[in-house]
Parts: sequence; C-alpha cells; structure tokens
Amino acid sequence: MEKIIEVEHLVKTFGTNEVLKDISFDVEKGDVTSIIGASGSGKSTLLRCLNMLEEATSGKILYHGKNILNGEVNEDKLRTKVGMVFQSFNLFNNMNVLENCMIGQVNVLKRNKAEAKEKAMHYLSSVGMAQYVNAKPRQLSGGQKQRVAIARALAMDPEVLLFDEPTSALDPEMVGEVLDVMKELASTGMTMLVVTHEMAFARDVSNNVIYMYDGRIEEEGSPEKIFNNPGKERTQDFLSRFINK
Amino acid sequence: MSISEMNFFERMLYILDQYSGSFFRGAATTMVIALVCTFFGCVIGLLVGMLQAKEPDRKDNVVKRSLMHVVRFILTCYVEVFRGTPMMLQAAFIYYGASQVFHINLGMWSAALIIVSVNTGAYMAETVRGGILSVDPGQTEGARAIGMSYSSTMFHIVLPQAIRNIMPQIGNNLIINIKDTCVLSIIGTVELFFTFKSISGALYTYFEAATVTMAIYFVLTFTCSRILRYIETRMDGPANFDLATSDTLAFTSGLTKYNKNTGGSF
Repeated sequence: MEKIIEVEHLVKTFGTNEVLKDISFDVEKGDVTSIIGASGSGKSTLLRCLNMLEEATSGKILYHGKNILNGEVNEDKLRTKVGMVFQSFNLFNNMNVLENCMIGQVNVLKRNKAEAKEKAMHYLSSVGMAQYVNAKPRQLSGGQKQRVAIARALAMDPEVLLFDEPTSALDPEMVGEVLDVMKELASTGMTMLVVTHEMAFARDVSNNVIYMYDGRIEEEGSPEKIFNNPGKERTQDFLSRFINK
Repeated sequence: MSISEMNFFERMLYILDQYSGSFFRGAATTMVIALVCTFFGCVIGLLVGMLQAKEPDRKDNVVKRSLMHVVRFILTCYVEVFRGTPMMLQAAFIYYGASQVFHINLGMWSAALIIVSVNTGAYMAETVRGGILSVDPGQTEGARAIGMSYSSTMFHIVLPQAIRNIMPQIGNNLIINIKDTCVLSIIGTVELFFTFKSISGALYTYFEAATVTMAIYFVLTFTCSRILRYIETRMDGPANFDLATSDTLAFTSGLTKYNKNTGGSF
C-alpha cells in the first residue's frame, strides 16, 4: 500500500522537557490507527506535530515522501490535506453550522459559494446535522458540535484526518453518536489517526494500534495482537487497568 | 418679569425657551464629535491593538522582526502618553502647538476631531488587545487546522468575536466621549458645555443652567447606552435553537404554536 505519512526519529521538546523521544512509524492509505496511552505520554503532541500545530524539534515527518519540517511543503496547504478534529471542537462561535463548514472551502480552497454549500450540506447530512445548518455552536450539544466539526474537516476533502481525543469532552450518552460517525467514516476507507481512551473503538475499528509510554512508542501492532497478546509488560498493565474499570 | 424675580422652575423654562437653539446646536456638535471620534478611535484602536497582540513569528527574518519591535515601541509610547495625560491639555498642546510651531491653523472642527479620535484610539488599543486575547485560542487553532492564514483567521474568526466581546467597552467610550468633549471648550469648540458657559455667563443663573445642561447630557448618554444594549442583544441572537420545520407531524408530542420565523414551541 501507498505510504502517506512516514515519521522518522521524531523528537519534540518544550524547554528542557522532552515530550516525544525518537518516534518512528508509518501511516498507509486507508489505515485507521489508534494511539492509546496514559495522559501525558505525548499522544496529543505527536498528533499536533503531524499537521504542524506544534513544531517538531528534530527528526523527519514525510508526507508523500516530502519532509514537512524543512519547508518543502507549504504549511497551510498541508493542513487542508491533513485535517484535524479537536477534543474541544473549536467550532467558530461567530458563525452558524453551515458557515463553519463553508469558510475553509471558500477562503482556502477558493471554491465558489454554491459548490461549497453543496459540499457542506453533503457532509452535514452524512453526520446527521443537516437540520441544524442555521444553528450557532452555542445552541448545540457537545455531541452535535463534534459531528459538525467532523463535517467541517471532511468538507476540505482531506486525505488524512487526525482525531485528538474526540470524545473526551463529551457526556457519556453523547460518546456513541460521535463514535458511530467515526466508524462510518472508517468504513469508507478514510485514513484516520485517532488519539483515544475508547478502547472498544481502538480494538474494533482500527487496523493498527500504537501504545505510547513516556514519549516513546512502547508497542505497535494489530488490535488483535495488542489487546489479546501484548508483548510488553507495560502494555499489559495499561490495558488491564482499562479492562478492570 | 425680570429673571431675578423668577423662581427655580421659571428660570429653567426661561433658559430653555430663550436658548433652545443654542442648546440644540451645542448638543448636536457634542454628538457629532462623540460619534465620529468613537468610530475613528475604534479604527485606530483596532489597528494598534492588532499589531500589539500579534505574536512574533519565528520564521520571520531579522529585518522584519526588528521593524516590528520599533513599530511596537512607538505604539506603546502613543498609548501610554495619551492615556497618561489629561485630554484638556492634549487639546491645548496640539491646537496651540500646531499654530505656534508649524504655523498650521487646524480650525475648530478638525482639531476637535483629531484630538478626541487619537485619545479614544489610545484607550481602544488596550481594549482591542484584551478583546483579542479573550477569544479562545482554540478558535485560532480550529482555523489554522483547516489551512486558513494568519490574516484570514484574524479577520474572519478572531476579530468578529473580539469586537462582540468589547462592545460594552465601545459603548463606555462613546458615553465618556459625549461627556468629555466638554474639555474642548478650552480651544473654543462650541459644544454643549460651551453653551452652558455662555448662558450662565450671560444670565448669572449657574444652578438653573447647569441643571438644564446636565439633563440634556443625561438624555444623550442614556439613549446611547440603551441603543448599544439593544445592538448587543441583537448580535447574540436566541440562546436556543428550534428546528425550523414546517412539518407539524414532527411535533407529535404536542406543538402549541408554530411561527414561521422562530419555529415551533411546546
């Protein structure tokens, strides 16, 4: 399969604090990769390095073979291809649902309004939010906001979608609706990287699981291997804490 | 009946009757200066506040970065000097300074408009900077994550929200400006306070003239603050969203009324 992202020896430090230590892994087209691990293990920072919201300290991130860290790839252009869904949604509060899904298409991709609206409506329908086009973000529940945020990211026609703990800020009864949308998306063949604490999602939906511990990739493999037959003691410890919960 | 024989209320009525035209012209001048200067003050404040809120970009070269430092130093001086000295003295300084040093006669109107705008701008700069900082950084990240540039993010996402957040402060400035134009009487601007001084000087009725003038000031400021409050509520819109459906079958649990614009309610 075609490799979309290759991360080689990635290091990220904040001051003297080394958050990512020598991270290497690949993402192939159509992969659904779940990144699991305790809080503070560097999962979110890793994800944010991939679309340059954080600037990596050293190492390489190759996007279709081009290193994005040495200026070969335009930052804004990269971000239209590598979309992101945030834990705190980050919908634009001054715009309604439809405008949220159109602004990027019109402003960045220079699509005309009619085309942008059609695309926005298509994705809003697919996440079940088409009736809410005129609502403002503050009038929506958390789960609804996150579904709009996913539609907003999809409307840019990205090649990869990064999910940074998309269900962590949601009330328990809303987690399901967002996970359902993500499952649906995974089944369409979208390449996804998901930082998550939802072990059931990691086990059932993804085809690759990365377990991070203290800024390193402790173990990587298929969900069957990681969940049923983990090779490292730390992975076992981490998973047993989740399963016993 | 001469004015010395009148009681308090008769004197007030007499003043209003005799000087209604002067009061009207004075109040109009005050309002024009306050409105125009609050507007230009906001424009100056937006530009200065935006420049001061912009974080230096590590990718910029040395020349651009040092240029930004110089610009920022000048702007800080401007803000501190105009916030830190009385507007009455600034008016005298600029008006008489222009004629004495540069031999420019600014004229009453342009001097008044420049002084109050520049003064308001200094206050607004800090307000705008605070307004920009008050917008959740997640909004900027959300915009950058779909590839929007710094300036697009600023104009489409951050500034509209910052302006909404500082609306109460803009209103505050307008009201302060309505009152503070009275210091322009030092350079001979014929506004409401100047009218008061002329009337009280002509009739020796300080108490009555002050009462009438205060009442006019209050009507002006109170009207403005109500209008601004109305605009704020309009900007916010309703707190809840009703699904705008015209299909009454959707309301099986008992729709009591349906409004075409606001949707149904239960």
